[in-house]
Amino acid sequence: MLKLSVADDANVQPLASLNDHRMSHPPPSPIYTLRGAGGPLNSLHFRCYGEDAPLLFSGSGKGCIHIWNLNTRRTNKVIEGHSGSSIIWVCTKRSKDTLISQGRDMQICLWDLGEGRCDLLDSVWTGSVGFCQCSMLETSPISSLLAFAGQQTEEIKIIELPSKIQICTLMPVAKVGMVMCINLFQPDSCPGPLLLAGYEEGSLLLWDVTQQSILSQVKAHPDPVMCLTFDPTRLRGISGSSEKNLSSWKLDEKNNLQLQGGVTLANPGVSQLCIREDGKLLASAGWDSRVRVFGWKKLRPLAVLQYHTDMVLSVAFSDHQDPRQRLMAAGSKDQRISLWSLYNES
Amino acid sequence: LQRNTSVSDSDSVRLEVSACLRCLSSSDSSRNITVLQTLLSYLDEASHGAAQRAQFSRSHYSRTLRVLITTIEADWVHRLTARQREELWDALFLRGPPEQALLVLLEAIGELSPSTSLDHVVTITEKFLQDGRLTNLLWSYCVGSAQSDSPQLRETLLGRLSALPDIMANKLHHNISPLFLPQQYYPLLASAMLTALQRTCQALRGQHQPDNINCSLAFVSQTLGKLCLQGHGGLVLAAMAPRLSACTRSDMVWQRVCWKLFESIPQRSMECVLTALVLAVSGIVGNLVLRNKKAEFVITHKLLLLQYKYETGVLRTVLGYLAADRDRRPLLIQVLRCICQAWANPSAVKHTPMEQQLYVSKALLLSVSLLKDQELQDLRSELLQCLLGGMQSHLDSSVLRIRCVGMVVGECLSSRMDNADTKLKFEYEQDEETRELLSLMTPSGWCEPESESLQETKELAPNTCSVASQRRQTTPPLAPTDPDSDLDSDDELTPYDMTEDQEVSQTSPPRYLRDCLESLMSSEDAMRVELSLKAADPLVRRNAFAAREISVQMSKVLLHMEDKYNIQGFLILRHAAMVALAVTDCIPVTQYLTTEFYSLNYSLRQRLDMLEVLVAAAQELSLPTTDKKNSSIISALDVAELPPFQGHDPVHWRQVVEKRIQSKTRRISKGASQPATAKATPNRYAPVAGYFFFPLLKNYDKPEVTFDLLGSDHLVLGRLIHSLGLFMHLAVNAPVAAQMGSALLDFVWTVRYHTDQMVRRGVLFAVCSVFLSMPSQNLLLDLGDMLFETRTWLTDVAEGDPDADCRSLAVQSLVLLDKSLKKQLKDPQSPSLES
Repeated sequence: MLKLSVADDANVQPLASLNDHRMSHPPPSPIYTLRGAGGPLNSLHFRCYGEDAPLLFSGSGKGCIHIWNLNTRRTNKVIEGHSGSSIIWVCTKRSKDTLISQGRDMQICLWDLGEGRCDLLDSVWTGSVGFCQCSMLETSPISSLLAFAGQQTEEIKIIELPSKIQICTLMPVAKVGMVMCINLFQPDSCPGPLLLAGYEEGSLLLWDVTQQSILSQVKAHPDPVMCLTFDPTRLRGISGSSEKNLSSWKLDEKNNLQLQGGVTLANPGVSQLCIREDGKLLASAGWDSRVRVFGWKKLRPLAVLQYHTDMVLSVAFSDHQDPRQRLMAAGSKDQRISLWSLYNES
Repeated sequence: LQRNTSVSDSDSVRLEVSACLRCLSSSDSSRNITVLQTLLSYLDEASHGAAQRAQFSRSHYSRTLRVLITTIEADWVHRLTARQREELWDALFLRGPPEQALLVLLEAIGELSPSTSLDHVVTITEKFLQDGRLTNLLWSYCVGSAQSDSPQLRETLLGRLSALPDIMANKLHHNISPLFLPQQYYPLLASAMLTALQRTCQALRGQHQPDNINCSLAFVSQTLGKLCLQGHGGLVLAAMAPRLSACTRSDMVWQRVCWKLFESIPQRSMECVLTALVLAVSGIVGNLVLRNKKAEFVITHKLLLLQYKYETGVLRTVLGYLAADRDRRPLLIQVLRCICQAWANPSAVKHTPMEQQLYVSKALLLSVSLLKDQELQDLRSELLQCLLGGMQSHLDSSVLRIRCVGMVVGECLSSRMDNADTKLKFEYEQDEETRELLSLMTPSGWCEPESESLQETKELAPNTCSVASQRRQTTPPLAPTDPDSDLDSDDELTPYDMTEDQEVSQTSPPRYLRDCLESLMSSEDAMRVELSLKAADPLVRRNAFAAREISVQMSKVLLHMEDKYNIQGFLILRHAAMVALAVTDCIPVTQYLTTEFYSLNYSLRQRLDMLEVLVAAAQELSLPTTDKKNSSIISALDVAELPPFQGHDPVHWRQVVEKRIQSKTRRISKGASQPATAKATPNRYAPVAGYFFFPLLKNYDKPEVTFDLLGSDHLVLGRLIHSLGLFMHLAVNAPVAAQMGSALLDFVWTVRYHTDQMVRRGVLFAVCSVFLSMPSQNLLLDLGDMLFETRTWLTDVAEGDPDADCRSLAVQSLVLLDKSLKKQLKDPQSPSLES
């Protein structure tokens, strides 16, 4: 027994020293940057699967949606559809050609991008004056659910696309303030979709969409919940606020939210959080102009990326099919997008 | 008639023995076997009457053996068969009174030169030991049957018994039998003593038996005492103590025998026995300390207060022994009082070595932890007195370790005395020493020997040790790994360097030196002050010209600056900025600082800061500057050194080839083949050394209202002297070094016997640096008589100073001085070049 443990120690030793050695690697630089968005970059969205050239959509504070070709690293097209109001969210549907954008002009627009077009297909009036980004859940190849903040500050509306039928309105009874961020997902355990929402007062609420009832509520932050992201396979999520702490939480079998601790950052304020598809990395867009990368499983800090000169507003991981090509993009108030290649070896 | 027969008996024995011996010593050997048999028969019970045997043993045995030894070389002895020799010749030694046999044997071994005869005698001695004759020897003294008992003989015998391994080793050197090695002999002797004791016990128990005898343990005690006195107590008692303590635990007779044994130990060896004993085990001594004054002194005073070489375990044993019995309890209290006084004595704190203070502190904590609550209540006021006095004198000390010990002891005492409300609490760094002291308050390692069997205690000690060591081994690997580590974790992702991830500040640092000074002087914004402080050092170094204009003003501002905003690393930043100023604009800043050092209205901290800044600046100035330009100069030199083209010069071709081979061959042994990297640069410190040094020598003896260097502010004095020593050391090879050296020696002379060891250390350091840095020709010339006085003082310190550092420093300075003097006397003309 003793011998064994000694042998283990001997094995462990060189590994540890190797780690120490690698520890000293300087943080990486972006592999390239995209300039010319002409405004703060509020939202980024990759579309890299399929045979077409990989694309990056960005929504700027000046009301433009830029479609970047990542091969040529230039804009394919610029869409100006929200009458100059800031774009706060862009997304595409699986059926490639539909782009959805949300602007501060209280409109959500659907665009048809097929065969080089960029036609406005439809638009939805939200009535929300806040900054809450929409959340979309594709329930079938043709239909999807879209959740967005409604006219009243605490109200969340869910509609079905493309029919635009309103499915429900979620209004908390308790006073939790304005809705700040939402995430719609379909867990395996429930028949209907669930919705996570972060509110101004710092609470996280888990809504059952079909029952229109609150399943669970936790106070995750003392300040408004600025952003949240959720990993449906591990049933874990994390939320950021205007303070220094990221708060991690978990969904147990009875659909109860449980706080799990979190991470403390060097500087306060997080605008966006994003988990890579393989569930290994978590990136945070910090107000201190730095992007921080963590291991998602244990929230171990891995890298602090310094490139931007102003607040980082958005961060996104690409959906490349080949994991080696995966990218991370960060959009900042300094009007630049930086692209990074991180931990792609395996 | 009876008397007549006895007389005739004794006469007949004498006549017969004489005849036999005559026969043996004569060369005629035919009858010798019968003669030996006759002699042997006197040792047998069957053949002669008791009176005759006693007569033989008393008067004739030693003589017989001596004659035998003298005939050992004789032909007839050699002609004996091995069996005859064993049965007749050897048996005479092994069956008679053992004490006489042993003496004769050892005498013979001492006299004989290496030969077969010597080997023979050694073999007999070995047999003597193996046959357990030692037991017989001891027992014969116990029952008083040893006939020849004079004090001289007894003393000789004791000496021989205790020194047998030495005697054998002196004679036999490497060919010694393992039996005579101390590791085997002393346990053998110990077991012989045990057997003797056991027989005594049996004899005491068997009152009804016919062989009812009076036993005396004096000889065994004396043997034990002698052994311990000669330093073999460890080996002997290691063999005896476990058995004794096991036997005494249950058996009344054994207890009495044992106590008697220790009571009859001679006075002069009592201490050795006791110390050896407490190292082994203490339960077997009984209440010896109450009956024997010497034992009381050793246990309660000498072991605790006079000596300090023992491990903590010994302290535990001694104090535990005192605490274990109701009768001994008053002694514990008395001991505690003494220890308290010793601990709290301010003179002891100053004048005794650190190790002893630690020892006394341990003893104090241990004895307090052994007190019962009732006793504690009785002693409360005295303990409090001790605590207050002791804390003050410990905290006054300038040695960190002493302060630390004081704090730990104070905490422990106060927490033991008061239950909850008024505990002392200090901030000190946890290290090995403080942890050990703290652990003494929990009575874990010590267990009462009366209550538990020895085997258990014996096992317990190594167990706890091994558990502790295991814990020590296992904890470090545990620490870095996370508690819930599984293979499927983030560990495969190696993190990048994240040291850059600092807090971002809002305001920008000042870009001009004057802005920096302005904000340091008048800004109320914490952030700006912090940034200015951080920027000060690089700004000063970058703008040397601007810095010269405001150097003194800025030094003043920095010196008076307080950490109002709790800036992280405030002291380091301020220090760095001041050093930068002193380096950039050396003379005005040093003048300012050295004059301010002796002026009014500075705190000790500020004065120490000044010294630190001066020292750091001097160090920086004395370092060679590294310039980027050097490399280009070197390469230019390289080119110049290339041999000029030699055109038609008919150089011998062999030379050319050799040169080429030389240039192509890599000489590993030649370390400095490349152009010398250390280029000579001017020493920036040498010209200004005096500005650092001499102003600080003035005014030291002029006490101010707020600053009394030779009085209570000895902390600063120690630092000052140390700094002066450093200036001296850095001034090596400077022209001014000789004057500095003699001035410094003059200066430290007055304080060389200061009571504070920090000051003494500083003085010795300064003296060391004088000898190091002063050119050796000046040493004799300038210092002259002073040098020899210094020498005597240094030897004095090296021998007698209570502080270990002081002693070693003194030795070091003596060595340096001698080296320097020797060099000068050997070669008086050459200037000293080495540093």
